[in-house]
Parts: sequence; structure tokens; C-alpha cells
Amino acid sequence: MKRDDKINDIRLSSGAAGCVECGRCVAACPMAEMYADFGIGMSPRGVIRKALEGDAVLDDMNIWYCTECNSGTDVCPQGVSCRDLIRGLRAIAVEDNRMENLRRCPSCGGYFAAVPVEDFVLGRLRTEPENVIKLLEICPSCRREIYLSRNT
Amino acid sequence: MMGQETMIQPNAGTPDLNLEDLRPRIQEKKRFSDFFMPRRSRYILFDPDKCTGCGTCEMICSTRNAARVAPASASVRVVTDDNRGRNLAVLCQHCRKPLCIEACPTRAIEKGEDGIVRINDLFCVDCGLCTLACPEAAPLKDPASGDIHKCDLCEGDPLCVRYCPEGALTWTRGKKIRWIKAARWTVQTLSFLFLVMIVIGTFCSFRAGTVELSCPTGTLQNIASSGTLILVGASSALALLVLTIIFGRVFCGWICPFGFVLDVVDKVTPKRFGLPGFLKSRMAKYGVLAGAVGGSAAVGFQVFCTVCPIGTLCRSYGVQSFFRSAELAIVPVLAATELAERRSWCRYLCPVGATLGLAALLRLPKIVIGAKKCKKFSCIQCAEVCPVGIIDADQLREGISPKIPMTECIMCMRCVDRCPYDAAKIRFRWQKATPAER
Repeated sequence: MKRDDKINDIRLSSGAAGCVECGRCVAACPMAEMYADFGIGMSPRGVIRKALEGDAVLDDMNIWYCTECNSGTDVCPQGVSCRDLIRGLRAIAVEDNRMENLRRCPSCGGYFAAVPVEDFVLGRLRTEPENVIKLLEICPSCRREIYLSRNT
Repeated sequence: MMGQETMIQPNAGTPDLNLEDLRPRIQEKKRFSDFFMPRRSRYILFDPDKCTGCGTCEMICSTRNAARVAPASASVRVVTDDNRGRNLAVLCQHCRKPLCIEACPTRAIEKGEDGIVRINDLFCVDCGLCTLACPEAAPLKDPASGDIHKCDLCEGDPLCVRYCPEGALTWTRGKKIRWIKAARWTVQTLSFLFLVMIVIGTFCSFRAGTVELSCPTGTLQNIASSGTLILVGASSALALLVLTIIFGRVFCGWICPFGFVLDVVDKVTPKRFGLPGFLKSRMAKYGVLAGAVGGSAAVGFQVFCTVCPIGTLCRSYGVQSFFRSAELAIVPVLAATELAERRSWCRYLCPVGATLGLAALLRLPKIVIGAKKCKKFSCIQCAEVCPVGIIDADQLREGISPKIPMTECIMCMRCVDRCPYDAAKIRFRWQKATPAER
């Protein structure tokens, strides 16, 4: 399948084509609390608009800020799932080997979170001791493995 | 223009509300009754030795979250190590300072007055940042509904505990009354009254019938200043050394009247300022001891005893105390060192403690803290309550059992009393650690 077809598939399956730009998702989006430079480009509405315009959205940094929550879908009157749209766009970007915006677990080597999201969490917890931060840089399932080997 | 990024600026006229105004954090209040009966948040204790990894807890938990048996929807996850045949139930530990609360962008997580950390479904948007922030990754995403589930202890009657067939999960409140704490304060108060008020003569050297006791540091200085070895005096000083060898430095933690004063001052100290690093030398007190003994030999009287806060306290009460009230000024001066660190006098300077520390080289007991038993990541309570600060919190966080220097330990047993997991224990020094304690 060609890349344009894939993007088109995602536009349809996530319902993004039906977006009426009412902006309810922007009001519900938790990214507004997370990032100081939250604006039209980063907001779900902006990402949807850009995704409908063409495949330039894959090069856009803005698709990597999303936390993949479902609050936008919950309030959308048109049933657009901005989470599914961003997940799909991220999947295509990953297929194109654009990994630089994904955080890699230093323990297992897997990709587990988008860099801006993980940076936000670590930024909130920056007052914690160094060893806590070190543990939190590891992916969640590896952390459980660490606890498993340490405590049992 | 489409595609052009513009920043949305808030109107200048609207008041600048942020999340702190809308959902302020719950501040923990300290109550007076906490001193006698501290509130203990309840928790689920997991015993890896009993767990068979059957997954009953996951199944029963999912009936509460998803109203059907679907282990993936549970708030608990059993992780299995196939090589070693060990299991771990990943559960929310209801940390004392939960990291998830800090990370939550919508502030949906809060810790209630009862110590239970809850996710408020009204505010939760299921973004999963709490999973990234949790050291154990305990908040779990339900793959079917996309919801984040986290243990809320079933609001007081955990189903997983009730249905665990092996009894690997226990629902515990912890010890309600801290017996060691109660006993220690009683002994400290009584020995303070006894040494200061009842015993005429002082702890430094007192005689009751045929029993004679004297302070070992005073005796050392006495020997040094007089140049003669008084056998009776020396043997009476041995009593305290023998006590130290058998029980560790219990004198410092349980009997010392000045230590009692420091502990009382510690209770009312509002803020601690800490000490600069170059002053933090625990060897300094041995230097003070050597200086006191050497000085006594040079001057010809017991140098340190004239300013010793313990002796001053003991001498302060009674007929002659009127003349000694000026001497007593040393006590508030040294008690003010509590502002720097807890018991900073005992940690760095006290030569009596130094003498007992030398005796404690031969001590019989030791305190072990088994890092494998102490599962709770952010509970470094033992290190927090230790008055002499010898428990290495960083090692505990990394899962290494810290080695406790028994020459510094004052055997107050606060760590043993406080530990909710029974990881801090008293052992004979020759006892080897069991696998669970390592």
C-alpha cells in the first residue's frame, strides 16, 4: 500500500474527514495544561486540519506531543477520534524510520513513549533524587521486571 | 492562513486562573494526637514466598473494574519470572509522596485523608502519564475500554485479599500503637527524673549502697589527671561499658538525660538548617575524647566534666544547684544544635558517646535492614526517623541493604518500630542474614 493511501485510510477510519472544527477537543485536551507553547498547531484541531491537507503532517513535530488519551473523542460531536488519527500517523512515521521522537528504553531497547510526553513527566519530577529519575527513564514493563528481580 | 501557527493569547481582562486555583492540593495536617497514635494508612502487603502466580487477584479485581472476568482490566498485575519461578503482584503502594500526583496533567489523582491514593474519574482523561511516573508502573491501562485503573483498596475491603487462595496478600493496618516508642519515652523520662532529681551525687559517679557507678569518660579523664589507676573507680565505670557491649549504645538512646532533653527539643524544633559538609565528621567526637583525656593529663583536673552537658544536668538539681545555675547555660547552647541536625551533638561531638562507641566495637547485637523485604519504593521511613542519620536512604532506594555502623547506632530502635514491612530487625552480630533479609 502506498503511503498516501495509508494516510487516507487513517483519515477515514478515525473520522477526521468529518471534523467541523468546533474546537471542543481543544477545550478538553490535557496538553493545554502540559505544554506552555500549546497553540493551534499542537492542538487536536490543528493536527486534524493538517492531516486533511496532505502528508506534510508526518514531518510535523506536533503529532508527537499527544498523550493518546481519549478526551477529544469523548466530546467530539462528529465522532472523530483524534487519538486514533495520531496513533495512525505515528505508526506511518515509524514505518518511515522516524524514531527520533520516540523514547527508547535503556534496559530493553524498546520504544515506549513519545519524547515530549516523557520529558513532561520527568520535568514535573525533576526535584526527585537522581536514582528515581534513572528508574523512570526505563520503560514501565522493565521497571516491573526490576521490582520482580529485586523484591522476590 | 491555513497551516500557519499562531499562539492563542489569553485576554488581558480575564483573571489568570490556573489549576492550583481550580483544584488545590490537599495539604496534610499534623495533629497533636499523631504523637501518641500516629495515623497509619492501610495497605496490601504482598508475600512473594506464598504467591503461586495463579492470577485470582487479577480476575477478582477485574470484576470490579469491568464488571466481567477479564484479567487485563484489573488494577493488579502478576508478573512472573519463569527462570526463578517467582511472582510479583504489581499493586499501587499508596506512596506517602506519590509521584503520579505530580505528573498528572489534570490533577485527577489525589491522596485522601485516609492515605488512599485515588483516581477521580471526573477528571481523568486516561492519558497514562501516571504509569510513566510510577516507579512500579502500577496504574494499568485497560486494553478494552482504554481506561486507566489503579488500586483504590476497594474502599476498605480489598477483594484480592479476600480471594487470594494462598494468603499471599494481606490487608494490614500496621502496628497501631508503637510499643517501642512508648517504652523508650517512658524509660527516658524515668531515667531523666532518676538521674537528675533522685540520685544525689551525679551520674558521673554515684554510690547507692555497695553499687558504685561512674561515667567511663569521666573515669578516663580522672585516671589521666591523677596519673593513678583507681581500681574501684575503673571497675565501676565498667558497668556502663558492659551494658554497651551487651545491648549496644542503649545508654545514648534510652538513658542519657541530655539525650532526653535533645529528643524533647527535637519535638518542638520547627525547622532544620543542616550542616556544611566539612563539619560532618563522625570521627570528631573521638578527637574530643582524646583532647579531653589529654587535656586532663596536662591540666590536672577533669577538663570535659566541667562543661559536660550530661553531668551539668545531673548536678543541677538539689541543695547545691543554686551555685551551679551558671554552669547550666551549656545545656540550652548545645540543645540549640538541634536546629542544625537531629542530635548533632551526639553525632559529631559527644565524647561520652565516643567512649561507648569504642565499647560498641565489641557489641553483641546488630540492626539489619533487609532491602528485599522493604518493598515500598518511597517509604524511606527508617532513614527519616533515624536520629543519628546512619541509614543510607540512597542504597535502600536502589534495593541494597544498607550496612549500619553499630558504633554510631544509639539503639533507639526507631527504625524497628517504624518499619511497616518488618524489614528492620535486631540480630546478634554473628547471625547470618536469611535470603529475605539480604
